[in-house]
Amino acid sequence: MEYLSTEKILIIDLASSAVEEEELEESLVSEKIGGIGITKYLYEKFENDDPIVIGCGLLTGTTYPASASGVITAKSPATGKLAHCPITYKVGVEIKFSGFDYIVIKGSAATPSYLWIHDGVADICDAADIWGKDVWESTEFLRELVGDDLLQTIMIGPAGEKQSDYAQVCYNHWNSPDRFGFGKAFGTKNLKGVAFRGMGLIECADVEDYVSRSLEILKEVKANDFLSKQGIAELASAIGEENLTDWLAPITHRHSADYFTPYATITALFMDEDPKIVEETKVAEPGILTSDIYALIALKKAGFSAEDAGRLLRETAKYGIDPLAVVELSGKTSLDDCTAAFDGLSGSLALKGKGIFSSWCPARPIFNDFGLSGDDAEAIAWWERRQAVAGIFGIQPLFALMCPELSEENMLELASLGTEIDLDQDLLDAVVAYVCD
Amino acid sequence: MGITIDALKCTNCMACEMACSYHRDDGFAFLSACIVAYRAREKQDYFGVMLKEEENLVVARPEGLEISRIGEEQDPDKEADASAKPMLLREGCDLCEDMDDYGPMCVAFCPQDAITLVD
Amino acid sequence: MSLRLLCLNCAGPLMTTTKVISKIGIYAGGGTSHSWLWFVDLFENKGLHTLAFLNENDVQKGLDDLDVLVISGGDTFAVAEALGPSGADSIGKFVHRGGLYIGSCAGAYLPMKSSKKPLDLFNFVDVKITNLSKILPATVKESLKFCTSYGCDFIFHPVREEISMKSSNSVLPFCPLTFTAPLYGGPGMTVTDPSLVLATYHEFTTHTSFLVSEALAGEILLEKAAVVRVPMGKGLFYLFGPHLEHPKYPLANQFVSDIIRWETKPLECPESPASFSHREITPLKELSGKKKKTFVMDIKRELSNSRIVAVNLEFLPIRWMIGKKVYEPEKVRVFLESMWSRIKSLERIDRLRVFSGDLETIRAVSIKVTQGLRRLKRAVDDNQDSLGEATKIFSWLQQLSMAFYTMYFFTLTHKDNQPPPSV
Repeated sequence: MEYLSTEKILIIDLASSAVEEEELEESLVSEKIGGIGITKYLYEKFENDDPIVIGCGLLTGTTYPASASGVITAKSPATGKLAHCPITYKVGVEIKFSGFDYIVIKGSAATPSYLWIHDGVADICDAADIWGKDVWESTEFLRELVGDDLLQTIMIGPAGEKQSDYAQVCYNHWNSPDRFGFGKAFGTKNLKGVAFRGMGLIECADVEDYVSRSLEILKEVKANDFLSKQGIAELASAIGEENLTDWLAPITHRHSADYFTPYATITALFMDEDPKIVEETKVAEPGILTSDIYALIALKKAGFSAEDAGRLLRETAKYGIDPLAVVELSGKTSLDDCTAAFDGLSGSLALKGKGIFSSWCPARPIFNDFGLSGDDAEAIAWWERRQAVAGIFGIQPLFALMCPELSEENMLELASLGTEIDLDQDLLDAVVAYVCD
Repeated sequence: MGITIDALKCTNCMACEMACSYHRDDGFAFLSACIVAYRAREKQDYFGVMLKEEENLVVARPEGLEISRIGEEQDPDKEADASAKPMLLREGCDLCEDMDDYGPMCVAFCPQDAITLVD
Repeated sequence: MSLRLLCLNCAGPLMTTTKVISKIGIYAGGGTSHSWLWFVDLFENKGLHTLAFLNENDVQKGLDDLDVLVISGGDTFAVAEALGPSGADSIGKFVHRGGLYIGSCAGAYLPMKSSKKPLDLFNFVDVKITNLSKILPATVKESLKFCTSYGCDFIFHPVREEISMKSSNSVLPFCPLTFTAPLYGGPGMTVTDPSLVLATYHEFTTHTSFLVSEALAGEILLEKAAVVRVPMGKGLFYLFGPHLEHPKYPLANQFVSDIIRWETKPLECPESPASFSHREITPLKELSGKKKKTFVMDIKRELSNSRIVAVNLEFLPIRWMIGKKVYEPEKVRVFLESMWSRIKSLERIDRLRVFSGDLETIRAVSIKVTQGLRRLKRAVDDNQDSLGEATKIFSWLQQLSMAFYTMYFFTLTHKDNQPPPSV
């Protein structure tokens, strides 16, 4: 598999410390395309070893707009089903450039460990120095150890170490779309986290045409007027939920985006620094970055002030626990009570659709109606397909719900152009059916 | 003609870095770009863009633009060496002079129009 | 030490019926910058794989087993200082007995007759420098200091970057009529005997960067010698003002490789494969299978770890003055990228040949470089002095590079790693 790929699948057995590589065969891509098509295939291949599979979409890390995402595929401790959690921020892209398209993690380590994946090298490292530390401390420790401020991590905190059903894998310092308890999946394997960094080059067949078409598609995207908006509050309004804009305005600092994603889905909330500050703050931890619409909505509904909502999100990010689970299942309405309830949660959150894709993502179109009638069942079916397609190609999952200009047709077109493999609609339908089964 | 960057419009998406690297490497990578999304202060939500030109380093901070001369020593005891060999790792911006169809790639690919070409 | 020679199929326009083996020593010791790595790339691309990497001690011990000695860019005075009287003596004897000396930029200044210490140790070639002056001319780029002191005088640099040369001699049948190469502080030259001049500075190009007025730059450089060929004893000095080894100038690169093939006498090719090293011999190891895979992965791991830190340092506003030269963080990556770019080749081949001394050096020093860079970054982040650490790191990088390339080219020249002969 020469193009749009590192050509490698990494197989790690934490129990035996074996690190092996397999070649990513073109035949597999011809059959399962990429992203969750292949992570599901690998999960099933190694199912007896209860694997966690980390992967990238076929288009991840290219000039296709919003080609930002990776994915974690594993059996959800919360639901007992196979589920797929998008890897967002800049973490998804870093996975591909660190040398492997897919990483299968089997078995459990005898002692707490973390994986350091860099430039095609995979090291199983002793996590003694970070086990017991929260997510922020752990990410910062590794960044300092390795001498790299841009190290990207998937990390668990105390919640995952304690194997809480609500433990969330976090990305660098931030809460993730994990509503599946994947933090527990990591914790049961004695896996503190995975660190990525790489400076690879991804080859593309017919790269000139690929880039040219990417630019044409980007221009179409930019013509859509939803891009005049930014941030998480606008998303909440767009899906007809609580008006978060006025509530969050006093603590909103700036908005930023996942890799190459035209809409800034990440909002920075400053609780401990003037949010109007433009220059670099001297405060070490001024606030939080978040993309969690539903956690914020739940916090507002529970009567939290914006500052306390931000502070709770910071605590959940450090602890590595799902903030929505904390708010909804604890029933607590103050910062201190919610924080105290981290270890005592029970119950479960509602799933969306078949529970395969994260309910972090609204189960409906955002900003644009995609021609849907408004019927709930139709919306859920559309949403699952759209999440599946985003997961296969590596498209930022929120942006996939906003942007009809990112069509299945042009994703297939660029995937075929970039790989020189004929990937058609029938194949995509088959893979979508496979992952949604 | 030159590049100007509005760091307050930037959303730190790294599109510019990828587009520039494509111009250098004919593939997808980040390492040889002369324009870089500065993102080492994630926790402080402080980000901007750095551009290496032939003779200048342009740093587009949220609080304003900063331009410094490359190779110029502020310390009088240290010589800036005109015989210094170029590193060839990140070449200075050439405004994508060989890419007539696009103009500068970073300008073309920025989703926020934070990067523009000015006279 | 008896020499056993490797048989190579040398690619290039000078295919001869006898096999030409040039034993090339590249000086990578005290005073050098990173441009010797450009020669490594050039020689690899041109199939000139019998290479030795020399520090100043290696040169001082004698150059009997070399055909070619290459000294590239850096700080001429520091190179002279490092080589000292015994290094100068070695070079003199080497050329007298038939050796080919190629000096580029600082390497070109080194053997020129001079009364300035320690250059006066060399004094081999009667060539005058045209960019030498007692009085500095006015600069057009005020912010750059464009000169280096040269005793009581100054070497100044009228231009940087690309300049066009024209051949002026029919001694070499392969000298390109015109070609370009960059100037980064190298000399303009004059000689009394015009037959010694192979190419002159012909004209400036759109890429030439002027540090003085164009008129003055023209006066200093145009029609002056850019490449000279000066016999001494049975050997030759080739002095290049510009960097003909620069990777972006293929015509100039070809000229260099043609010079070596033309000037190096053909030798008999024995049947058995052999080894070549200029440095102290430790037992030769051949690694294959799992041991080879593990060793290459160990190198890859540390080079990756080091590169990752090095990228972080790149845009930091820090430089170090080591000796008389300013070192930037980017220079760390130059060494690392040069080795990194060859890892895939090492992963693909079946057998690795490495002297056990080099094997230990590569293992140990690559880890030192990683750890040193991590300490350096912490010092920079904490606003502490990092000069000591930087000095050690650059020294380790030279040491690591030399051991790595010795291994790399030994491996490349193993018969099992040779491409099959073309039909």
